[in-house]
Amino acid sequence: MIHLENVSKVYPNGTEALKNISLDIKQGEFVFIVGPSGAGKSTFLKLLIREEKATFGKIIVNGRDLMKIRKRKIPYLRRTMGIVFQDFRLIDKMNIYDNVAFAMRAIGTPEKAVKKRVKYVLKLVGLNGTEKRRPNEISGGEQQRVSLARALVNNPEILIADEPTGNIDPERSFEIMKMLVEINKRGTTVIIVTHEHDLVKKFGGRIIRIADGEITHDEFIHTKYQPDKLSDSPENTETDNSEEAENI
Amino acid sequence: MKLSSIGYLFKEGFKNIWNNRMMSLASVVVLVSCLIITGAAALISVNMSTLISKVGDDNQITVFLEKELSDLDSVRLGSEIGKIKNVESYRFNSRSDVLKEYRKSLGDDIYESMQGDGNPFGNEYKVRLKDLSKYNDTVTQIQKIEGIEKVSDRSDVAGKLTKLNYFVTIVGSWVVLILAVVTLFIISNTIKMTMYSRRFEISIMKSVGATNSFVRIPFIIEAMIIGLLSGLLASAALLGMYNPVRNAASGIIGMIADSTLTFDQIWLPALTVMSVIGIMIGLIGSIISISRYLNKEGGSIIGK
Repeated sequence: MIHLENVSKVYPNGTEALKNISLDIKQGEFVFIVGPSGAGKSTFLKLLIREEKATFGKIIVNGRDLMKIRKRKIPYLRRTMGIVFQDFRLIDKMNIYDNVAFAMRAIGTPEKAVKKRVKYVLKLVGLNGTEKRRPNEISGGEQQRVSLARALVNNPEILIADEPTGNIDPERSFEIMKMLVEINKRGTTVIIVTHEHDLVKKFGGRIIRIADGEITHDEFIHTKYQPDKLSDSPENTETDNSEEAENI
Repeated sequence: MKLSSIGYLFKEGFKNIWNNRMMSLASVVVLVSCLIITGAAALISVNMSTLISKVGDDNQITVFLEKELSDLDSVRLGSEIGKIKNVESYRFNSRSDVLKEYRKSLGDDIYESMQGDGNPFGNEYKVRLKDLSKYNDTVTQIQKIEGIEKVSDRSDVAGKLTKLNYFVTIVGSWVVLILAVVTLFIISNTIKMTMYSRRFEISIMKSVGATNSFVRIPFIIEAMIIGLLSGLLASAALLGMYNPVRNAASGIIGMIADSTLTFDQIWLPALTVMSVIGIMIGLIGSIISISRYLNKEGGSIIGK
């Protein structure tokens, strides 16, 4: 699904953001990308969605070679992904329904299908009944759920979340993470960039640590957390590989 | 692009005007002001040219024929004049017609005594030229024809009118051109400001996989509607002012009333030209401005 081979990224100002990294992410994986600020996590995501082009190496995403992809084909690559941003990136002038529907309309989906799917996705993220409200009328947690609904609405193969819990309180962060786990259970590959170690420890999964542009850890952490138990809270989940988690 | 998108994009274009009504209003105000100034300059220039051209048309020259020339020879000579390229028209004036023109000033008694052989005038032709700037050449050609006594010398007037017409055309064109460039510059900046205020929207559209044309079209439609609206408003304002200004100017210089374009002659061309210019400015300005954002990606669109 995602294949990176000896990938390096050097920005025009000479900053070497990623150094010769190689990895594979298979379909259905739940992956955390962790690491300190400036480690190269954001560059990694930008390469995946082809906001940036790698300087060297080979990147294949959903069967597309991102080193050779034509500019006009990039939108079609992005349609196979859903992206959740830390700052939600919702359009204030649009209500919740239109913010989600926007992603479907942008790829030319007929209005009838938009109506049906948006209703379903808003229900999935627990926002049914809020369609007419504007982003500035709802909480940060709800805004992130709208952002998540927008990312999911086109039924993406990969969901990329860049610090999805960065701007919301711990309880809401947990809810968002639970949703991401559930989405993953339905077969979508989920890649989360975060620096919140607590969440990584609670939810587990494949943890890739990037530091100074290089992959320093790539391991799997098991937890006892069961996503089906929606009443779970951060307090009553346990980490199996606590030692590994401490090392992240 | 899918057919279902086209209706949506047009709807979005219209909706955007209302959603961004303050910027839309600012754009319309700027564009209307610029179009009124440019349109006024163009109308003044066109009317000046029409005025000068009409004055030029009235400026016919008189070709005096030798007194001894018979009427038949005079008619023959007329066809020679007609063959000259720059001659637009010529009208025969017999010696008795010429005398009639002086009847009032001479008085009936003297007029009667000058009938027949006592007529001091010869036959003549009133000749209109196509191009006054070729006055001297044409007069020389006429003078070469046998049987011509002299040609009335109005080279001074012809020269002045030609220079004035040339001046008005050149200056008018430059004024309109400069104003058009200034207008495009101002409009382009206004559109850039609009784009800047909506860069966030553009970045989201691109992140969800919208193609560049999908992002571009609502902005272009919006700018074209604003351009059309501005063109219509500007032409309405100009046409509303046209007759009062024309009447006021005619009060000062009488010939303006007869020698300039009437409201009926200008309203349709003015409305059409200004609407088309408004649409074109919206189209060009939006294409140039949005390209800047379409070439960027993700965070760089919103300056992150």
